[in-house]
Amino acid sequence: MSKNLELLVFLPMVCAPFSYWIGRAWKRGRDVFVQAVVILELLLVITILAEEATFVRWEGFCGLGIGFASGSFHSVMAFLTASGWLAATILSQEYFAHVKHRNRYYLFWLVTLGATMGVFLSADLYTTFIFFELMSFTSYVAVVQTEEPAALKAGDTYLAVAVIGGLVTLSGLFLLYYQLGTLQLSQLAQAAAQAPNRSLLWTGGLLTLVGFAAKAGAFPLHIWLPTAHPAAPAPASAVLSGVITKTGIYGVAVLSTTLFLHDSTCGTVLAVLGAITMVLGAVLAVCSIDLKRTLACSSISQIGFILVGLSMQCLLGHHNALAVAGTILHIVNHSLIKMVLFPAAGVIHLSTHSFDLNKIQGFGRGKPFLAVIMGIPMLSLAGLPLLNGYVSKTLLHESIVEYIAVAGQWSWLVTGLEWLFLFSGGLTLAYMLKLFICIFVEAPPTADKWRKHNYIASASAVTLLIYAITMPVLGIQPNDIMDGIASFARDFFHGEAPAHPVAYFSMINLKGAAISLLIGMILYLTVVRGLLMKQGGERQYWDPIPAWCNLEYGLYRPLLLFAAEVLLVTAAFVDRIGFRLLFRGLPAVCMKGYRWLLDRRGRLIWLLTGEEYVPRPSLEQVVDDPHFGVYADHPQAERGVLHSFAFGLILTGLGLVFAILFIFLH
Amino acid sequence: MLMLAAIFCPMIGGCLLALWRPRDRRTRQDYVIGVACTTAVLSLCSISTALHHPPMVLIRLNDHLSVAFQVDGLSGIFAGMVSLLWPLACLYAVEYMSREGGENRFFTFYLIAFGVTLGIAFSANVLTMYFFYELLTLVTLPLVMHGMDGKARYAGKVYLIYSMSGAALGFIAMVFLLQYGGEMFQFGGTVSVGDMNTDILLVAYVLGFFGFGVKAAVFPGHKWLLRASVAPTPVTALLHAVAVVKAGVFAVVRLTWYGFGPDLIRGTWAQDMVMAAAVFTIVFGSAKALQTQHLKRRLAWSTISNLSYVLLGITTLTQAGLIAGITHMVFHAVLKITLFFGVGAIHYKMHRDFVPDIEGCGALMPTVFACFSTAAFGLMGIPPLAGFSSKWMLATACVDLKSTLGYLGTAALAASAILTALYLTQIIMLAYFPRQNRAISVKIPKRARRDPGIRMTLPLGVLSVVSVLLGLSANSVAGSISSLILGL
Repeated sequence: MSKNLELLVFLPMVCAPFSYWIGRAWKRGRDVFVQAVVILELLLVITILAEEATFVRWEGFCGLGIGFASGSFHSVMAFLTASGWLAATILSQEYFAHVKHRNRYYLFWLVTLGATMGVFLSADLYTTFIFFELMSFTSYVAVVQTEEPAALKAGDTYLAVAVIGGLVTLSGLFLLYYQLGTLQLSQLAQAAAQAPNRSLLWTGGLLTLVGFAAKAGAFPLHIWLPTAHPAAPAPASAVLSGVITKTGIYGVAVLSTTLFLHDSTCGTVLAVLGAITMVLGAVLAVCSIDLKRTLACSSISQIGFILVGLSMQCLLGHHNALAVAGTILHIVNHSLIKMVLFPAAGVIHLSTHSFDLNKIQGFGRGKPFLAVIMGIPMLSLAGLPLLNGYVSKTLLHESIVEYIAVAGQWSWLVTGLEWLFLFSGGLTLAYMLKLFICIFVEAPPTADKWRKHNYIASASAVTLLIYAITMPVLGIQPNDIMDGIASFARDFFHGEAPAHPVAYFSMINLKGAAISLLIGMILYLTVVRGLLMKQGGERQYWDPIPAWCNLEYGLYRPLLLFAAEVLLVTAAFVDRIGFRLLFRGLPAVCMKGYRWLLDRRGRLIWLLTGEEYVPRPSLEQVVDDPHFGVYADHPQAERGVLHSFAFGLILTGLGLVFAILFIFLH
Repeated sequence: MLMLAAIFCPMIGGCLLALWRPRDRRTRQDYVIGVACTTAVLSLCSISTALHHPPMVLIRLNDHLSVAFQVDGLSGIFAGMVSLLWPLACLYAVEYMSREGGENRFFTFYLIAFGVTLGIAFSANVLTMYFFYELLTLVTLPLVMHGMDGKARYAGKVYLIYSMSGAALGFIAMVFLLQYGGEMFQFGGTVSVGDMNTDILLVAYVLGFFGFGVKAAVFPGHKWLLRASVAPTPVTALLHAVAVVKAGVFAVVRLTWYGFGPDLIRGTWAQDMVMAAAVFTIVFGSAKALQTQHLKRRLAWSTISNLSYVLLGITTLTQAGLIAGITHMVFHAVLKITLFFGVGAIHYKMHRDFVPDIEGCGALMPTVFACFSTAAFGLMGIPPLAGFSSKWMLATACVDLKSTLGYLGTAALAASAILTALYLTQIIMLAYFPRQNRAISVKIPKRARRDPGIRMTLPLGVLSVVSVLLGLSANSVAGSISSLILGL
C-alpha cells in the first residue's frame, strides 16, 4: 500500500484543475467535489496511520530524486493537515458564500494541501524544499484572496520572506549536500557526525534554518505573520496558522534531530530564538487591538514555545523524553486550537465586518454557543488544567526544570528561561482574557444590531464544536491519548521513552500552571485593564506600540532598499562610467587624432598635388543621416531587401569570399 | 550530404522567397513553415545518421585550410535545439509579423539565418565556423533593423559594430588556432605548445573569448543585445535568446574545449580572467534586469546574465562544469524563448511594453500568462522546474574547483537566483494581482479575453510543457548531454 504516499501528495494537485473546470460551470458541484477530495485525503491518511511506517523513493526525479516516508511524526502531521483542511474546507463554503474568485481560491487550496502533505511526508530535505517552495507560492493566493490593498501589501511581505528565505535555504541545502552527499533524513545524522569540516556544516545548517524559521514565524523573521494571517480569509488563516507554520517547525525539527542531533550549540541557538519569539509574540498579542492580529501574534508566541521545546530536546541529549513529548504535543495542540479560533473570528467578521476590538465589543453577549467554542481553546492555550494545552505546556516546563538540574554553571540562565516561559504563559492568559471579556462580557459600544441566532451555519457549528470538545477530552485523561500520540511520533525525534508515565496532575506540575495563571490574572488586571484602555469618555482599547516600532518598515525594508540602491548604483556606474572610459574614451581619443588629420587633409592634398580640396561630409553627418542604411530617397517608402544596407554588405562579403576562393584555388 | 542539405535548404528557400515575394499571407505562411520544417527534419536526420562520423571536407583550400562539416555531440545538441525551436518560432512569427509588415523581407532573412546557424553548428573547423559566424551577423542585421525607424537603425548599427569588432578579435584567435592547432576541432583541444611561449597563446585565447563572447553578451560586449530588443519579438525571442547568442556560446565552447583545449588554459591567468568576466556579468545582468522597467529589455538583461551562467560552466574547465553549462544552455533556450513569446503576445494584443503597464493582464490573457509564469518559475529555479537542476549542477561544478573564483561563482549564482526571483515574480504578481487598476481584476467574460490566435498560443503552450518535462527529467537530459559530448 506504499502507493498511498504519492497519492496523498499528488491527488489534490491533480484534482485541483478539475475543481476549477467544474467551478466554471457549476459552483455547487465544485464545492462538493472539493469536499470529496479532502475527505478522500483524510481517509487515505487514516490508512497510512494504521499501516507500518513505509518509505518510497523516486530516483532521479527532479534531479536529485524525491522520497516520501510515513509513520511517526510524518503520519501525525499528515493527519493534522488532512483533518485541518477538511474543517477549513467546510468552513470555507459558508465563509465564501458570496465572494469573487472562489474558483481560483479552491484551485490553489487543493494544490497547497498536496504541497503541505509533501512537506510533512518528505523523507529527504530536497523533497521538503520542493514542496515547501510550492506551498509558499500557492498559499500566497490565499493571503491575497480579497485583493484589498492591505492584503496585497501583506502578500508582498509574505512572498518576499518566502522567496528570499527559500533561496537562502536552498543555498544551505546545496552546502549540506555538497559536504554530506545525501539529504535523506535517515542518513543525515550519520553523515553529519562524520563531516570533517564543522564550520562549513554549521554554515549550511544555519542557512537552511533561515527559510524554515521564516515560515515558522520565528524572530526576527516573523514579520510576515502578523499581517498575512489577518489578511487571509478566516479558513485560510486557520490553516496558515495551524498547519503551514508547522511546516517551518518540521524543517527546524529535521535539522535539530538529524544534522544537530543532541548538539548543545544548536540547542542554545534555538533556545535564544525560542525565548525571544515566545515573549515578543505574546507582548505583541497583548498590545494588539485587532482580533485576528492578536491570534496571529499568539501563533508567533506559541511557535516560540515549540522552539524552546526543540532546544530542550537538543540540550538534554539522551534524557529528552519530556522535551520531545512536549514539543510534539504542543504542535498538535496549537494546531487544534488555532483551527477553532481563527474560524470563530471569521464568524464574528461575517456579522460585524470588522476585527477591531472596539467595534466587535460585546458581540458575543447572549451567544453561549460561541462563548463555549471560543472559551475552551482560549483557556486551553493559556494552560488551564484539564484541557489539552495544559498537558503540553507542563511537559515543556518540566523539561526546562529538568535541564536546570544538569545545566551546571549556567543554571541561573535556564532558570531565567523558565521564568520567561511562565511569564509568556501568563501573557497568553492575559491576551486571551482580553479577547474573551471584550467579546463576551463587555457591553457593545452602540445599540446591538447583530443577529442573536443564525450567526453561524450548522455545518460550521458542528465542525467547530467537534474540535472544541476534543480539547477537554484530550486534556482530562492525558495519559491515555496524548501520551499515545507522543510515543507514536517520538521516533522521528530520536526521543527516549519516558521512564515512567508523567503524573500530569501532581502538585508540582499544578503549581507551575498556577503561577503562570496567576501572572496572567495580574497582568490582565493591571496592564490590560489599567494601561491599555483609554479611560476618558467611552472605554476603548488602544495599541501602545508606535507605528515606527516595526521591524519590517523600520529596519528590513529600508535596509533592503539601501542594499538594492547600492547594487543598482554600482551597476549603473559600471555600465555608464566604466563603459564609457573603456569603450568611448579610447576611441574618442583616436577619433580626435583622426579628425585633426582630416582637418589638415585639404592642406596636405594642396601641397602634394596643388588641387583645391573640397571636404566631404564628415562621418557624423552620414551616421545621423536618415537615409543611412537604405539606398532610397524616402527610407520609409522603400523597404525592399535589395535596397538595404545589409544586402550591400552581404554582396561585399560574398565578393570577398569569392575573391579568396579564387586566390586559393589558383 | 544531409548536413549540407540542412544548411542550404533554408538559405535557398529564403532567397527564393525574396525573389518570389508572395502577396498572399496564407501562401507565404505555408511556404515558410514548410521550409523550416523540412530543414528541421533534414538537420535532425543528419544528426542521427552522421553523429561522430569523420569530418566531411567540402572545399579544400590548401593543406591546412578547408571548409569542412561534421556532426559531433556538441553540434548535435546545438543544431537539435535550434531545429526544434525554429519551426515553432516561424509559426509564432507568421501571426506576429502580420502587424509589423515587411514580411517577405523578414522571412527571407529569418530562413537564411536558420541555415547559417546550422552552418555554425555543423562546421568542423574554425575557418568554417568563422565564415558562418560572420555571415550570421550579416543576415540577422536586417532582422534587427526591421522596423527601419531611428531606433531600429541605430540598434542595427550598434549590433554591426559590436559583432564586427568581436569577430575581428575572434579572427586573431582563429589565426593562432590555424597556426598552432590541428585542422579540425577535437575534444580536449588541438594546440600543441612545443617551445612556444604559452602566454601569447593565452592572449590569443582571451581575445578570442571576448571576441566570440560579444555574441554571447559577456561584459563588456553586452550592450548590443539591449539595443537589439527593438527588433520584432520573433527575432528577439529566437535569435537574441537562442540562436545568435547561443552561437556565441557555442563558438566559445569550440574555442575553449575543442581548439585551445582546457589543459592549456586551466589554472592560468587566462582562466581567472574569463571566469571573472562571467561571474561579474551574472550579477551585473541580474541587477540591471531588476532595475529595468521595459519588459523586453528586462528579459534581455536576464539573457545576458544567464548566458554568463553557461560561460561560467564552460570556463570552470571541468567536464562537470561543461555539462552543467550546456544543460543550462538548453534549458535557458526553452525557458527564455517562452518568456519572450509571452511578452511579444502582450505587445501584439495590448501594446504594452513596460512592467507597470501589465497590471491585470493575467486575467485578460490567461493562456499567455499561464505559459509565461511556468517559464518564469522555471528560470527562477523553483524545483522541480527546469532552471533548478542546471543551476544546481553549475554551483556544484564551481564549488568543486575549490578556488576563490569558484566560490565567488557560487555566491554569484545564489545572489543572481534571488534577483531573478525578484524581477520575474514582480511581473507575475502585477499581472495577476493588480494594484491600482482594480477594475481589471473583476471576472473577465470569455469574449473579453485577449489571448492571441492559435499560431501564437500553440508554440507558447508547447514550449512551456516542454520546459516542465525537461525539468522533471533533468537528470536524463544532463546524462544524455554528457554522453553526447564526452562520447561515453
